[in-house]
Amino acid sequence: MATDLIASSPWSIEPARPGEPIQRWSSRATTVEEVHRELARIWSVPRLAVEVDGREERHIAARTSVLNLVVVARRPEIAVGAADTIGHLAGRHPSRTLIVIPLDPDGPSWLDARITAVCILPRDDAPETCVEMLDLHAGGEAGRHPAAIIAPLLVHDLPVTVWWPGEVPFKQPMAIDVFALADRLVVDGSTWSGDGLRQLAHLAQLLEREGLTVSDFALDRQARWREAIASVFDMPEFLPYLRSLRRISITYVTHDDRGAPGATNIVKPVYHVAWLASRLGLRVTRPLDPVGAASGPRTGGGRAAMMHEGLGATLRGVHDVAVAIRPVRSAAPAGTTLHIELVCERRGSELRADISAEAENVMVNVSLDGVDRLERAFRAQRKTDVDLLTEALEEGGRATVTSDAIRFASLLAAAGIEGSLPSTRR
Amino acid sequence: MRELRISREGRRARRSRQKLDNPLREGLRLERVPDPSTFVLFGATGDLAHRKVIPALAQLWRTNLLPHEFMVVAVGRRGFGDDEFRAEMRASLEKFGRVTLEPPVLDEFLERIVYHQADFADDAAFDRLADRLDAMDGSHGTRGDRLYYLATQPSAFPVVIGQLGRVGMDHEIHGGGWRRVVIEKPFGRDGETARRLNREVGRVFRESQVYRIDHYLGKETVRNLLVFRFANGIFEPIWNRRYVDHVQITVAESIGCETRGAFYEETGASRDILQNHLMQLLALVAMEPPASFSADALRDEKVKVVRAIAPLTADDVARDVVRGQYGRGWVAATEVPGYRDEPDVDPLSETETFVAARFHVDDWRWSGVPFYLRVGKRLPKRGTEIAIRFREVPHRLFRDASVDPEPNLLAIRIQPDEGILLRFGAKVPGLGLDVRAVNMDFTYGSSFTVDPPEAYETLILDALLGDASLFTRADEVEEAWRVVDPIIDAWAEAKAPAFPDYPAGSWGPPAADTLIEADGRRWRRI
Repeated sequence: MATDLIASSPWSIEPARPGEPIQRWSSRATTVEEVHRELARIWSVPRLAVEVDGREERHIAARTSVLNLVVVARRPEIAVGAADTIGHLAGRHPSRTLIVIPLDPDGPSWLDARITAVCILPRDDAPETCVEMLDLHAGGEAGRHPAAIIAPLLVHDLPVTVWWPGEVPFKQPMAIDVFALADRLVVDGSTWSGDGLRQLAHLAQLLEREGLTVSDFALDRQARWREAIASVFDMPEFLPYLRSLRRISITYVTHDDRGAPGATNIVKPVYHVAWLASRLGLRVTRPLDPVGAASGPRTGGGRAAMMHEGLGATLRGVHDVAVAIRPVRSAAPAGTTLHIELVCERRGSELRADISAEAENVMVNVSLDGVDRLERAFRAQRKTDVDLLTEALEEGGRATVTSDAIRFASLLAAAGIEGSLPSTRR
Repeated sequence: MRELRISREGRRARRSRQKLDNPLREGLRLERVPDPSTFVLFGATGDLAHRKVIPALAQLWRTNLLPHEFMVVAVGRRGFGDDEFRAEMRASLEKFGRVTLEPPVLDEFLERIVYHQADFADDAAFDRLADRLDAMDGSHGTRGDRLYYLATQPSAFPVVIGQLGRVGMDHEIHGGGWRRVVIEKPFGRDGETARRLNREVGRVFRESQVYRIDHYLGKETVRNLLVFRFANGIFEPIWNRRYVDHVQITVAESIGCETRGAFYEETGASRDILQNHLMQLLALVAMEPPASFSADALRDEKVKVVRAIAPLTADDVARDVVRGQYGRGWVAATEVPGYRDEPDVDPLSETETFVAARFHVDDWRWSGVPFYLRVGKRLPKRGTEIAIRFREVPHRLFRDASVDPEPNLLAIRIQPDEGILLRFGAKVPGLGLDVRAVNMDFTYGSSFTVDPPEAYETLILDALLGDASLFTRADEVEEAWRVVDPIIDAWAEAKAPAFPDYPAGSWGPPAADTLIEADGRRWRRI
């Protein structure tokens, strides 16, 4: 009987409640071979069944067949955060998740793996489906070569998504080896150090690798802004103005007293410009450059300070398009977009679109030659990391819009690994 | 009289081009947000509105798939104030909603519902409705775009449509202001009434404005059938008479007629399921690849399949069609009454609760391949499935095997446990050479990580977007009746059947087994 076999294994046969994940298996291993053995043990019990109302009846289905998710967490607290996010995916788990935590790089080589099977009952009359979670703490040499641990533990023939939260060491061999295993790389450019633009250029370089798709939470998080902007030009009377865009102005939050370029991660505001420009087929004629020194007091609700004018750039389509990315002091998280203004001029008529966000709403205000023509509010919730990871896992195929935006952002940020915002890195 | 006009390209194609003109739309996840619009729900106090339509709208609202400028005008005969009706909808959503709405989201949604009392025959009530909708376009920014949803008794369809035409509420405004009407099945009781209904609808609305809803077509697995057939290179080459032995389509229900006895007495299984759901599934299985995924390209191919089903004579009906009615029995460990003992059912009723039929699609692809269709109530379990049985191998190589290898089978489960199963022979481990059939089983639940939307959510959103691909066109309805009418007529002429002829909890009357076993085949046990 399956139950007898379960009794001698780490299987839990507690009844599950619909929609609530339940841990069915937990064991440990200290080598990759042992991990393999444990994984095989999970599914070696024939016709797994759990008790419902004292009777053995509901069957546990095999693991899901979706994808491998690999998380490389270079600090334990990042691993904890990532595990929490994955835990909240509930029924949206990938088939096998590997959380690799490299530790103590100069110590002896070791591996401590915790293997768990988490199952979910979609509804009362359905079998449970399960996912495997591997927490892999690796020390010394083993931790410096995470790809050597990851590669043999992937479920074959399923796509591999690598989620690298926090700072990504794009040029280090350990990262390059992990990227080579990935079909999709998920990063969050808004968490990178400095202005984040140098890393953005490295990310753009990765896009040249055949078959690798990239998701950046920093870009995906701003989808509600893009929806709002796109909606303006869904209107037939405004659409012709889109090709006559003349100015893009973005204000973002800084916590730096002077808002000096380089002091705040500006990946998100840069993505706004990059997305718009790449969709409109514009090209960069003058990359982002500091506009000038502190020139006047400006606040977004905080105390007054002499703020830097931010960055400027010039793009070219049918006409020149001026770009301005300006810092504003505010209590909101640094790098957050506060306001986007688009100005279009066509046959002597000026269309101005102002987009701003407040809590769960994005507001759009459009005026034509100074006369208000449209005022709309979109209810669009802010996306959490759980939402963003879910989207990244569910998205299939190559995301052209994302790739184009990342490439353009790299060009805008001065095109090159060396970067061309020297003032931002002084 | 305005003729029914079936546009070759349809509004959807024009609309798609228009949308693509905005280059910022590409790649946005919420690409499919409809225009600002008003949803006018006739029959708003009825069961369908409470159970399906309002919950579907609420779910679309919750997932931000409806525009901000969106209003629901609920029209019904009963006297309600707006707040009173909203309270009723709040209760319905608690009872029938798929996902609970957060209180602020629920409040926002309910604020968008207003109630309009109207007797459908009352001209003045429709005049007031027209004025109210016009005023709402100004005050709520709904811009004259309107979807009229007829969740009423079928007898009210012509009345409501006539009123809409009389007041001019069907008129589309140049450069915006679309008007569409959604009609629920049944589309007539037979071919004649269906044609009459189509004529009456056609007097007011162009065919491209009409969305006949068959909720089966909104089910995720039914839609996946198209993807499965036309996005996978390996199946289409064998999807024909050379490789397929036969096709079985089953719609099994474990429930009886419940509280719908009076309705079911008028329809029976043939009108309720065979004429629409089963014919649609058959068409999707047997159709040729459409030139594009546009509404009319798809529907052109579907209607060709139904046209290719040879009309049945009375003798054909006697040979190829079996009807049945359930008696008392046991379903899921519960004793249940027979059909004739159900509420609002004639104790001597001759209404069929089961139909099994053998059809032939007389075209190049399917010539000689029988399609076995069955539908029944009070069967042992609920399940809808399409099974493609492939031919046996031409030469039996493994003669010493203790069991003959089974022919391959492809089963597409539509509900429940949506998925696809491929059955093939495998060697039994050991020193001998035994072959046993094994299953390769794909289930949506374990392969995709999202809950599929309810059929009504899909279809209502499509109607708001102007995509008629999953709605039934007038000629499809009429062709399906051309197939089913002779069956109903032959039964009317035939001797009264010896009902009940199958116990609840069984797989139908013995004659259904005889029908398929006469061809050396048997029904799949689903």
